[in-house]
Amino acid sequence: MRDIHLLEITDLSARVAGKDILRGVNLNVKAGEIHAIMGPNGSGKSTLAQVLAGREDYEVTGGTVTFDGQNLFALRAEERARAGLFLGFQYPVEIPGVNNVYLLKAALNAKRKAAGEPEVDAYEFLTLIRQKMKFMQMSESFLTRGVNEGFSGGEKKRNEVLQMLVLEPRLAILDETDSGLDIDALKIVSKGVNSLRDPKRAVVLVTHYQRLLDYVTPDHVHVLSAGRIVKSGDKSLAQELERRGYDWVAESRVA
Amino acid sequence: MSAAAHATRRVVSPAVRSFEEQFLEVQGRPIDSLSEFRDPAMQRFMALGLPSSHDESWRYTNLRSLSGIHFSAAQDHSRSDLQPFASVSLLDGAQRVATISVVNGYPWLHSVDSVINDIEVSSLKEIARVEPAKLARFFEAPSDADNRRWALLNTALFADGLYLKITKKVQTPLVILHVGIGSDTDTIAYPRVIIEAAPGASATIIEHHVAQGARAVAVNSNTHIALGRGAQLEHYRVFATGPDATHFDFLDVRQEHDSRCKQFTIALGGGMVRADMDVHLNQPGATLESQALLVGFENRHVDCVNTVTHAARDTTSRQTARAIASDTSRVIINSKVIVNAGAVHSESQQSCRGLLLSQAAEIDSRPQLEIHTDEVKCAHGATTGRLDPDMLFYLLSRGLDRNTAQSLLVFAFLADVLTGMSVASARAAIEDALINQMPDSQLLRNFR
Repeated sequence: MRDIHLLEITDLSARVAGKDILRGVNLNVKAGEIHAIMGPNGSGKSTLAQVLAGREDYEVTGGTVTFDGQNLFALRAEERARAGLFLGFQYPVEIPGVNNVYLLKAALNAKRKAAGEPEVDAYEFLTLIRQKMKFMQMSESFLTRGVNEGFSGGEKKRNEVLQMLVLEPRLAILDETDSGLDIDALKIVSKGVNSLRDPKRAVVLVTHYQRLLDYVTPDHVHVLSAGRIVKSGDKSLAQELERRGYDWVAESRVA
Repeated sequence: MSAAAHATRRVVSPAVRSFEEQFLEVQGRPIDSLSEFRDPAMQRFMALGLPSSHDESWRYTNLRSLSGIHFSAAQDHSRSDLQPFASVSLLDGAQRVATISVVNGYPWLHSVDSVINDIEVSSLKEIARVEPAKLARFFEAPSDADNRRWALLNTALFADGLYLKITKKVQTPLVILHVGIGSDTDTIAYPRVIIEAAPGASATIIEHHVAQGARAVAVNSNTHIALGRGAQLEHYRVFATGPDATHFDFLDVRQEHDSRCKQFTIALGGGMVRADMDVHLNQPGATLESQALLVGFENRHVDCVNTVTHAARDTTSRQTARAIASDTSRVIINSKVIVNAGAVHSESQQSCRGLLLSQAAEIDSRPQLEIHTDEVKCAHGATTGRLDPDMLFYLLSRGLDRNTAQSLLVFAFLADVLTGMSVASARAAIEDALINQMPDSQLLRNFR
């Protein structure tokens, strides 16, 4: 059987608030791989992540994306999530009044329902969540709080990774999950990401800095600049970027 | 004032004419000791007529169609063999709650629960007969009576009512179940409730308005709350009548030294609900915490007007209003804080937030401040918007259905008010009533 791509992005362009942000992105991700997408601010990294997750006010103006062989754009955001696509937000929103854990349970049940599985048993769920929380070194108070309510930046990011671990997506897109983390939190988050490494799954790390990649080793590194992937390579590309800066990529492109 | 004299000034609408007729009936009854209050109230009402859009606080609520209706006074059913109304009660089945039914304004004291200790319960009719002096202060027209015309009309026309005096710390919540029983003609009821709390006393009282019968009774209700030194009251008024119901409610609160009033106004139903609240923090240390949860749907109209007067130093008021409007409904929040001269070191906060769920719905929110002294801390804020697209996308991106996600966010928006309710059974019942109006109600229940 042919080794098909879990995610196949072909010539994708997209517009936000009337402005062209993505201008022909091409990217293929196979199951089992970890990809890092790097790039300067404003290069379109977050837009790419949001478009893939199904944000409606981001207008896709061209190109195709298939996820596990099906047309991603035929699915709405909630259907993509149930099909196994997960977006870890750069700025997870606070939703006071909606309980953190109940959201997680509803999310897990939505996914199970779509897969024709029964709802998760309450006790089983609590056991699972406690185990994952322990793994992510999160305090019990997370169980009773509103979604991201009053969380520090680091707690929000850990919560994103916790959700990812509970939902076990086929494809996780983590949008600057490393930004704003101190070194301890970065290690915990990295541990969470590494634990998801699996021949059936893939992870796309969107990041500005190379430091996450000290802890999570990518198979491929891509540089996004002005809405296009301008350079791809292995993990040494990230180190080179760190040394030489993004200007180097922009210059080498012109040359 | 003769009818002819009126006719030269203005055309009397069928509604006003019918109120005049009702007043003649009241006058025809055996003399009651309250006529010294009824007569001037009626005269003043007749001179003013129904409020119109020219009246500042009635800008958003049009009474034109109501003015064309000829009303008769709603019947007294207390001698009938109707069953008690527990089945329609908000707290049906809740433990440790005492209930008094008030039907079309007439208290059913024969149904009073034996649980009510430490609250003196009587009918206003009875007090007017034996101890009228006790009532005078609740019936004298205040200086701003022109702004409370429905209250004037209530004073002129109410037939009976409920008087409660809280003398101790009462643990068991008391529900006053106001039942409007309609008939096949247009009727109007005038429920009147007086709640007095003695110094140091405390209680929780829930006034719950429901309706039965073919054609809904219009309701013009009036509640007075007087809190003595250090008294504490948690008071709820819950409007949960049908789409054809019209409700005017006036809540008057007077607070003495160090008293605390926690007030919840919950509008979950009724075709047109106008809920006024007028609070006077008359002595130092008095604190008001008012929370409103106003839900507009279909073509419902909810108009909420609060006036809080800081009349003494060191008084505190905190007002929170949350309004949601869907379909073609309209919700109005008018909230005014007045700090009198001399009321130094007063603190007030007003927070009005509205959530629009459809293009055609409307929310008007107007917090106002009138400060006549220095050295006060007053803050107010009002925002109205739609569901936060970031929150919605976050929930969708976790696989939740759109309807569920929206309902959850609506619920979360109301959470501030709901979590402030200390009567768990009341809170649960109100949440339930809210949930029933939303899609995915079963899933929402799992979230609690």
